[in-house]
Amino acid sequence: MSVEASPMAIPISADRTRRGSLRLPKVSRSVLLSTLTIAALLATWAVVTEMGWANELFLPKPQAVWAAFIKTMTKGYQGATLLQHLGASLYRILVAFALACLIGIPLGVLMGVSRNARALLNPLIEFYRPLPPLGLYTLLVMWLGIGESSKLSLLFLAGLPGIVISTIQAVTSVDPVYVRAAQSLGATRRDLLFHVYLPAAGPLILAGMRISLGFTYTVLVAAEIVAASAGIGWMIWDAAKFLLSDVVIMGLIVLGLTGVVLDLMMRGVAKLLMPWA
Amino acid sequence: MKRLVAALAVATFALTSTARAEDKPAKITVGYLNLVNAQLVTKHLGLLAKEMPGVDIKYVKVGGGGDMLRAIAGNDVDFGGLGNPPTAIGVTRALPIKGILVINMLDYVEAMVVRADKNITSFKDLKGKTVAAPFGSTTHYLLLQALKDEGVDPASMKILDLAPSDIAAAWLRGDIDAAWFWEPNLDKAVKNGGKILVTSGEMAKRGYPTWDIGVVMNAFADKYPSYVEKFVKAECEGIDFWLKNPDKTAEIIAEELSLPLEDATRMMKGTGMVPCDKQLTGEYLGTSAKKGKFVDTLVSTADFLVKQERLPKLLPRTDFEAFIQPAYIEKVIGH
Repeated sequence: MSVEASPMAIPISADRTRRGSLRLPKVSRSVLLSTLTIAALLATWAVVTEMGWANELFLPKPQAVWAAFIKTMTKGYQGATLLQHLGASLYRILVAFALACLIGIPLGVLMGVSRNARALLNPLIEFYRPLPPLGLYTLLVMWLGIGESSKLSLLFLAGLPGIVISTIQAVTSVDPVYVRAAQSLGATRRDLLFHVYLPAAGPLILAGMRISLGFTYTVLVAAEIVAASAGIGWMIWDAAKFLLSDVVIMGLIVLGLTGVVLDLMMRGVAKLLMPWA
Repeated sequence: MKRLVAALAVATFALTSTARAEDKPAKITVGYLNLVNAQLVTKHLGLLAKEMPGVDIKYVKVGGGGDMLRAIAGNDVDFGGLGNPPTAIGVTRALPIKGILVINMLDYVEAMVVRADKNITSFKDLKGKTVAAPFGSTTHYLLLQALKDEGVDPASMKILDLAPSDIAAAWLRGDIDAAWFWEPNLDKAVKNGGKILVTSGEMAKRGYPTWDIGVVMNAFADKYPSYVEKFVKAECEGIDFWLKNPDKTAEIIAEELSLPLEDATRMMKGTGMVPCDKQLTGEYLGTSAKKGKFVDTLVSTADFLVKQERLPKLLPRTDFEAFIQPAYIEKVIGH
């Protein structure tokens, strides 16, 4: 960011009309621009609905969505409050994502380090990676039933390939000089894994985890369509059946915001664990 | 993109054809519900095509009322079919549709099936059990009505939202103890350790009739009124065929739904078909001057859904009366 921003500052300083924005520090400038986007979006939404240009059935007014938010927070939607719905969804997402990491990272490291392991497992990963998770869902429901396990499996399967593949890439792109240097100093395989491969590959693995969390998020509504009775995805689906578009839009906003928060948290964890990245 | 191209094509067609005396749609899309009724006969015999030569007729199978509402809201169909709960939802949410014909009255083609080995003999025995129904449909409505009438708290059991085909799969796996849904999937549950607890026909006798009504999009009806008549005429012929030729109808149903003949025959008997002249009596749509009992059912269904917090407010009776339009049938049978 700083690399981009500093050369920009020079031509702008000569531009008198932009003097106001020049004095803003770099960070708040990007915050300002982001805020501008959101404000413009909200304003368009408000104007379009106030002027009656959009059918309220499809695009309710912002205040209607806000009212739906307050009502769901306090009174709930079909037997559960918004926080309970959110809790049910986050539980599913986080458990599935944790499983995807617990299985995906070791698998990726193994495949990255060992050529044989890569040759053995690659056909499976390469075949299954492009399959749309939804195509698998029917099968999962038949095999595992309509309970929690089929939902978790779908989310897990959505998250897994991203993490395996980026871990393989992360490990194979570790500079072999590090490995040889450590080996010449008498490092065991265990030392190599924990002191060379993982620290060097960490930032890329983490990037893979962030992408994988995104994939898990995208199949949430689908996972909660079959036989759920709580969850943000289910709430959106159920409200759509009754054409309650205010609840649908409110659910989507909540889903989007929690996604952003989760991503920020992962970046925070990354900074804490890997300050060298 | 495809739809945009289609829309442009339709627009161009509409522009070029304004010179002609009578407008003719290039294509009509009929959304039909996946259940057993005379629409299958109309479709199978191509009665609609006979009424509308030169019009491209597309049939789209829709799983349930919830999906049909979405299709209507998205303007994906010209004609559709809806049970009374989705209709009450659609009218309350001001969807641009009119009810023009009774597709079927629901008798034992819809039923509450329970596992025979679970010793469930009344709704009170459902406490602690897992029950499934497609939310927002006629059977979900009847399930909640029945529980209310019997004084059983719905929270005392686990009620799951499943599509009919998913109910059948979950039933075979043993994931659910009871379900209220409809043929052709209902049969799979009955044949695999199921027992009928109550049918939708029995609920009709208790004062909760359920039915499906044929609807047309307002925009289509305004533009091509004579084609709505043609549609109604074709469906009325299908209903007459059903009533006069039960054996041939059973063969058609069996073929359309890939079922054994005896199952098709039984499912047929569980569906009430109303001949079009009878649809104009007070029991059904009524006449344009005096609307019939369908309005009462819609009002009470909507009232129920408001109490369930599925609908924001109960509209005045006149809105439901305006939705029911017997005028097309009146024209077809020459009243």
